[in-house]
Amino acid sequence: MIRFENISKQYADGTVAVKNLCLEVQAGETLVLLGTSGSGKTTTMRMVNRLIKPTAGRIEIDGRDITEQDPIALRRRIGYAIQHIGLFPHMTVAENVAVVPKLLEWPRHRIGDRIDELLTMVGLEPGEFRKRLPAHLSGGQKQRIGVARALAADPPIVLMDEPFGALDPITREQLQNEFLDLESVINKTIIFVTHDVFEAVKMGDRVALLDAGGLQQLATPHDLVENPANEFVDQFLGQHRFQLALLTGTVRSIVPEPPPSEPQPAAPAGQGISVRSSLIEALDLFKRTGLDVLGVHDRGAPVGRLSKTALLEAITDVFRRAGSPA
Amino acid sequence: MIAAAGFFADYGLEMLRSTREHMVLTVAAMLVACAIAIPLGVTLARCRSRFLANVVMGLVNVIQPIPSLALVALTVVVFYLINEFLGVRVLATLGMAPALVALVAYAVLPILRNTYTGIRQVDPTVVEVATGMGMTPRQILFVVQLPLALPFIMAGVRIATVWTIGVATLVSLVGAGGLGDLIFRGLSTYRINLILAGAAPAAALALVFDWLLGRLEKWLTPRGMQQTPSP
Repeated sequence: MIRFENISKQYADGTVAVKNLCLEVQAGETLVLLGTSGSGKTTTMRMVNRLIKPTAGRIEIDGRDITEQDPIALRRRIGYAIQHIGLFPHMTVAENVAVVPKLLEWPRHRIGDRIDELLTMVGLEPGEFRKRLPAHLSGGQKQRIGVARALAADPPIVLMDEPFGALDPITREQLQNEFLDLESVINKTIIFVTHDVFEAVKMGDRVALLDAGGLQQLATPHDLVENPANEFVDQFLGQHRFQLALLTGTVRSIVPEPPPSEPQPAAPAGQGISVRSSLIEALDLFKRTGLDVLGVHDRGAPVGRLSKTALLEAITDVFRRAGSPA
Repeated sequence: MIAAAGFFADYGLEMLRSTREHMVLTVAAMLVACAIAIPLGVTLARCRSRFLANVVMGLVNVIQPIPSLALVALTVVVFYLINEFLGVRVLATLGMAPALVALVAYAVLPILRNTYTGIRQVDPTVVEVATGMGMTPRQILFVVQLPLALPFIMAGVRIATVWTIGVATLVSLVGAGGLGDLIFRGLSTYRINLILAGAAPAAALALVFDWLLGRLEKWLTPRGMQQTPSP
């Protein structure tokens, strides 16, 4: 768990980057720091691995003040991936990935195994890519290596600053999806910085919206969209509110909880939808399958049924709510 | 054939001796210049304040345009003035000492400038990531910055070496020996063969050193920086 206690950062020229920030990142969650440039999101992230020193307040990791720890050792326990990737151009893919394990003096064979494991994990064939140089990789491949490198020594915490920011929209979405899959397996505490509200609601378990160094709202993506805390949040979501509501609204919210005792009718095989799917995904599935009713399941266990009519009603409802203030 | 045999019979020994002197001067000056310029360039480039770097680089840029012959002559003058000021003759104003000082002063310039530029041109993102991953400043220097600056540093060393071989023909004028001895003697007595006996080895030395350093540069340069990047 990472705790920000009244964190402020003022630069020598007087600029206040972050002011009185209080924040807790739970173990295993992905917390997105969302904001425009100058909102203090990157500064906040970089204070965790002590690349930036706060002018006031304290940061604790698992109850220990980070300023009481050796910054070098601290950084080796925290994965770090950034938009500009910063692969070492004179090192091969394997050498890039191996940097932190080498710093930690892992035995050679363990590093070798780990490289292959990570490359496979990020979807790159080790035999083909191990010896390649960064100059001979596409943007998407570089970014994958950047992520693999951040995860190399299996750090419990990973900091990611717009890690998919420099990619074209298609590659970007692909990498986001792959990372979501990956994340459900590796279960890290992640601080993810982005200026893209769609990326924020997609990647985050919770989203912290920052403006001018202050925390405007800290909420789940759904709550952020449905219950903006103030004028600023409302305006930040702006004209995207309808789309965002469809993305953050889950099937769970429109399928009534079944009474626990009553067994539910089994959904037709392969035609079910998870309670965690978004309304958009449900709509897509209806369109793809041409069905009128889908079985709904939660982690494989059937929990109810969703009709196309009910979904469309819910969407109309979302539209009415999202459209009204604009 | 006979002419060539006669040439070497006349000048061979002297050529060998002067070439050896020339190489000793060059190598000594280069070693000292590298030992000064590379650490200084690295330190200036990594120094947080730009002020010191600007002062040193400004100084370098003042010395640079001084003609080499004038610099050799000025060294003698400076040595003389130091002796006068101290009232004791602590420095030999002629011979190896002023020659080496002039050669070093001249060779330091390109190495220092290229080392500084080489370290500074390393992508700051790469250094930031290296820091963020938990490398110590020392590891950042040796694992990241120096390998990436190496082509620049080596280019500086090559330029400086070729210059030094050239300037070293002039230090014969202050009595430091070298191939300049043959050249100037040949010029003043107008013996073409003698001029050639000094000038040809000097030219050959420059070419050979440049080639050798080129090989060394290739061998030292990290693989990732040799190929032209492709998308």
